[in-house]
Amino acid sequence: MKINRLILILLLVTGQYSMAQNPDISGFVRNYTGALYDNGDFSILQNTLNLDLTKSGDKIALKANPILYHYNADSLDLRLRELYVDLYFKNFDLRIGKQQVVWGKADGVFITDVVSPLNLTEFLLPDFDEIRTGVNAVKFDYYLGNNTFEVIWLPNFTPTEKPGASSIWYIQPEFLITPTFDWSRAEVKPCLENSEMFIKYSTLTSKIDFELMGGYTWDDYPAMHIYKQVDMSSGSPVLTGLNITPEHHRLYLGGGSFSTEIKGIVLRGEAAYYTGKYFQTEDPLAIDALVEKDYLHYLVGLDFSIKDIKFSTQLIQEAITAYDEYILKEEMGTTMTLLARYDLLRETLHLELFSYIGLTNEDALIRPKITYDFDDSFSILVGSNIFIGDNEGRFGQYKNNSMGYVKLKYSF
Amino acid sequence: MKTLLIKSVLIAIVFAIGFSSEVFSQSLTGKQIVEKAYNRSTGDDQTSDLTMTLINKNGAQRVRKIKQFTKDLGEVEKSIMFFLSPADVKNTSFMSWSYDSDQSDDQWIYLPALKKIKRISSDSKNDYFMGSDFTYDDLGDRKLEDDTHKLLREETIDGKACYVVESVSKDKDYMYSKTITWIIKDNFIGNKKEFYDEDEELLKVLTIKKYEEISGFWIITNSEMKNVQKNHKTTIVLNNVQINTGISASKFTERIMMRGL
Repeated sequence: MKINRLILILLLVTGQYSMAQNPDISGFVRNYTGALYDNGDFSILQNTLNLDLTKSGDKIALKANPILYHYNADSLDLRLRELYVDLYFKNFDLRIGKQQVVWGKADGVFITDVVSPLNLTEFLLPDFDEIRTGVNAVKFDYYLGNNTFEVIWLPNFTPTEKPGASSIWYIQPEFLITPTFDWSRAEVKPCLENSEMFIKYSTLTSKIDFELMGGYTWDDYPAMHIYKQVDMSSGSPVLTGLNITPEHHRLYLGGGSFSTEIKGIVLRGEAAYYTGKYFQTEDPLAIDALVEKDYLHYLVGLDFSIKDIKFSTQLIQEAITAYDEYILKEEMGTTMTLLARYDLLRETLHLELFSYIGLTNEDALIRPKITYDFDDSFSILVGSNIFIGDNEGRFGQYKNNSMGYVKLKYSF
Repeated sequence: MKTLLIKSVLIAIVFAIGFSSEVFSQSLTGKQIVEKAYNRSTGDDQTSDLTMTLINKNGAQRVRKIKQFTKDLGEVEKSIMFFLSPADVKNTSFMSWSYDSDQSDDQWIYLPALKKIKRISSDSKNDYFMGSDFTYDDLGDRKLEDDTHKLLREETIDGKACYVVESVSKDKDYMYSKTITWIIKDNFIGNKKEFYDEDEELLKVLTIKKYEEISGFWIITNSEMKNVQKNHKTTIVLNNVQINTGISASKFTERIMMRGL
């Protein structure tokens, strides 16, 4: 692709410049071991080398962020999270290459933050800086005082990564009979017509910070077009075949977010309205068992302190507009998040509790952890991921995956 | 990521004071003395490299390095800091806008791992900065009217004649029951300060190790805060201090927070 060639040329040119000037190298090495409470099986045995190579100048900068995951049985997974060139001008900047883009004011919830897809192969458990994947993009930022106008063009669509069938995070869909999958439409062909575009306006002011955004994108989750074969020869319908064709569809969305401080409490909000989203339906008249509906996703959050403990809480709702009873997904879903953090021993010992609480299905993911910094480079983290509640819930379905884990990390 | 809720500028530690060789009459009140210490001229903008060293009771050290820029824009003073080390906070930046009026400070932090600028509460004055012995309030620009000031006596320490002023917060919930400050008589630079806890026991002692005249302004460039109850201390050293270099207002924006140095 032309865009990739352009990136390569830029990186080669700037790379030579960079190497001559000694790039700045930082990163971490980490061991991550986790075991399931249910049966003692290791849920994860992972070693990670994360390298952050940067070279910054007045007019140009280069960044490369390779990350190598080593799993048990000596399997290696080398990823290039970011590899881009920054070009700085008087009133605007250009970033070209593979990059992670983070939008919005929500923490751990993705509402307007939809430019970079997610890596959900370990559900929502990776650190938030590791859960996003990089995308090939050209990002243009124009600055006017404290205002920023941003346009991002993604030449090709990258879907969210989901767990494979052998993963403990894979949920086997249930069907009345064994379906036949047709994957011929599962990929979005990389071409100009299928590219994605996002725009954003953001500002920081003395009273309030806010962002307004719009996107012409693809739904990260493919719609399952279901074709049923029914035999009526016996007088009553008998399902004899099920053909499923996953296909991504275009999404249009608009939204915004804000944060402000009121008497020592930071109030945050974020909302997005999606059109073009497909939902599974049992309506017998629906084509391919799908119905297209608009969709609203919003959040309000508070950050505050009580004594020396810092709290952050968010209430999130998702709602399907013009809902009908045949749609399989609930009309409205409500989730909360709660974060409490306490630092002691001169900020060398950190106690933290983070939870997702599903109010609709009465389930939760509870994540307590303790981190101790032996020094400024070396730390140990002991934590637990506890899934509780209704088996039908987003978190309760992983009840058997509750685990304890340890992370040893050396930063350099 | 360590907590990085920072209160305002570090360049003017606690009571870095504008120079004045004028000898004032001994009839000055405690409030007038502190006012002269607070109302110093520090130039229109400042740049410096800050090294903070945390030393525990066994002598083990942890070092934090910061590059900071400050600009006085009239009714608002803007500052931005870039964290250089340790590794886990490298490239983090912090921006603060402080107002002459009663308006609360605006503060933001950029976390490079999250690639996100977050507005943070300025209501954290009693928190300790990066695990050091300095609270945000110790490092910030405490306002004259926040305390009741009383001249206790005059005495000479380290060969310097000083006013000794006791300050008691008007806020009953303030973390210090009182502070006692030794202010050098001939230039109104604070030389030493004692902090007393809620039980009126001595908690911490701040000692100014060195101050320098830079571009016509007196700047404290080496100071030490010792917690006498827990026997650990923190030193702050400023290097490469530059004043009135004409820093652009565009330095204090979202763009520069994310771009870094």
